[in-house]
Amino acid sequence: MTTTVQMPQAQPEETPPKASSGTWRRFRKEPLGMIALVVLAVLVFAAVAAPWLADYPTGYGDRVLEGPSGAHWFGTDSLGLDVFAEVVWGARQSLLVAAAASLIAIVFGTLLAVVGAYFKRVDAVVGVIVDLTLSLPVLPLMILVAALVGPSTVTIIFVIAAFSWPEVTRVVRSQALSVVRMPYVDAARLMTSSPAWIIRRHVVPAVMPLILVSVVLTASRAVLSAAGLAFLGLGDPNTWSWGRILYEAQQAGAMSTAWWLPLFPSLAIFLLVLAATMLSTAYNDARNPRRNR
Amino acid sequence: MSLWLFVLRRIGRGVATIWFAVTVTFLMLRLLPGDPALAIASTNMTPEIRAELLNQYGLDQSLPVQYVKYLGELLQGNLGMSFSQNIPVGDALMQQLPWTLLLVGVALVVTVAIGIPLGVVAASRAGGLLDRVVQVVAVTGQSLFVPSIGILLLYVFGLQLGWFPIGGAYTAGTYGGEWYLSVLSHLVLPCLSLVLVQLGAYVLTVRSTLMESLGEDYIVLAKANGLPYRRVLWKHALRNALLPTTTLIGMQICLYVVGGVILIETVYAYPGIGRGIYDAVTRLDFPVLQGAFLLLAGVVVVVNMITDIVYGLLDPRVKVGSS
Repeated sequence: MTTTVQMPQAQPEETPPKASSGTWRRFRKEPLGMIALVVLAVLVFAAVAAPWLADYPTGYGDRVLEGPSGAHWFGTDSLGLDVFAEVVWGARQSLLVAAAASLIAIVFGTLLAVVGAYFKRVDAVVGVIVDLTLSLPVLPLMILVAALVGPSTVTIIFVIAAFSWPEVTRVVRSQALSVVRMPYVDAARLMTSSPAWIIRRHVVPAVMPLILVSVVLTASRAVLSAAGLAFLGLGDPNTWSWGRILYEAQQAGAMSTAWWLPLFPSLAIFLLVLAATMLSTAYNDARNPRRNR
Repeated sequence: MSLWLFVLRRIGRGVATIWFAVTVTFLMLRLLPGDPALAIASTNMTPEIRAELLNQYGLDQSLPVQYVKYLGELLQGNLGMSFSQNIPVGDALMQQLPWTLLLVGVALVVTVAIGIPLGVVAASRAGGLLDRVVQVVAVTGQSLFVPSIGILLLYVFGLQLGWFPIGGAYTAGTYGGEWYLSVLSHLVLPCLSLVLVQLGAYVLTVRSTLMESLGEDYIVLAKANGLPYRRVLWKHALRNALLPTTTLIGMQICLYVVGGVILIETVYAYPGIGRGIYDAVTRLDFPVLQGAFLLLAGVVVVVNMITDIVYGLLDPRVKVGSS
């Protein structure tokens, strides 16, 4: 049950409690995994508690481009706004985009993968689309769509989701394909005529660990994509995000003189992505202790 | 015979991928919210030019007719006019493409040249101190946001130490050897940024696949035959570990290299396609954005195709498999 603390969907009901509590027990012994969990918790806290941590940065301040001090922990930008407030509110935006985009990509990608694995005809089509999409450069495509539709938070979420699901499908599909060939799935076919039941009862639980890792990795990649789009001027112009802080600094030509402007949002992105990577590695190791040792 | 079949099949896949990219772009331009006429022809243009452009692209006709016309225009290399620069998009992109290819090419070669040996060394001392250091560096590098590392290097080596120029691709007013030197010195920082971000994926892939192949029977046999460990490692085991690495290069190019180069060119005001995209975003120059995507997609597909074919020529299993 303890696994639910780290990841809400961690425990499919079918898993014997013993196995997953063993995962959690081993996970707790991975120092890097625990550190990653703490870092992520701090960032999520900053995102949730942003209104209590800092006032929303807007308008103009009187102290322009001032280095970090007691009054402004992360310094001020070229409009005199507090960079700490921008980073905290940026965490809110960045995590929102990451969570929403990865959720959509995971649900859609997994659905296509498991349904495809079960129905061969669907699989052929899905496989070709995934192959073709994965052999195209993603960022220019995202840029084109975001520019056409016009940058807003909703646009960015859907654009990132739309080009993230093929990777999820690719990973989940290969696992799902090997599961549907298992004898116990054949046995299930004798018991029921409902593919939906077999997929829900047998295929989805079997790919669940992969999905969990995928959620974390897709979300961290979404943060990078969103920051990249924002850095090119395609972020939501009405909301602060980590990428937008960098974009505004670049636009104001303040990047080279005020080192604190790029430093703090960069650190935030770096910590988030690094923590996500370490968390998924530690989870993999804890789930399968023989691996990689 | 089977070899030709393999090459032909691979070329067919490349063509299919490019067709897919073109079709996706066409559908996006026509079906996404936003006036398609606006996407092709700017409202800033005079009504005559606008009407002519709309007619040229057949925007008053049905979707299938438009699609055929669109394909026809692209086959003739017509990507439309850039409305901020008032020159054909194709010409603008062709001026930028060599710089981007230079940057990506050098970065890729350096990454592979460092990444593979590092991965081999890490795998051969798995669990040791060196292995752990290499792994930490690899994972850290992978988590970097490209502009962040670009700005950091620019700040330290460009501004504080003054070792390298902070932007552009060459020093204006230099000729001959001096010009080449200036190109080289402008290349160092953006290239290094790309290498640092890419390196981790190569090191970790080589490491894990090598460790797998080191446990296989033919390696045990080679060792039992008394071959020196170094030879077994670098010749016998590494050869098989290179297949996933080649696949990785292709995937990396699609997902990160192209994205990374767009961002890094923006940081360093490098006159390649990435910088062109940044300028086009600022001016909402849709024909340039569309052309840039199609061109980059084309380059990526062709590079992947060549890599696969060369690999197929080198790897006996591919020949057997395709017959």
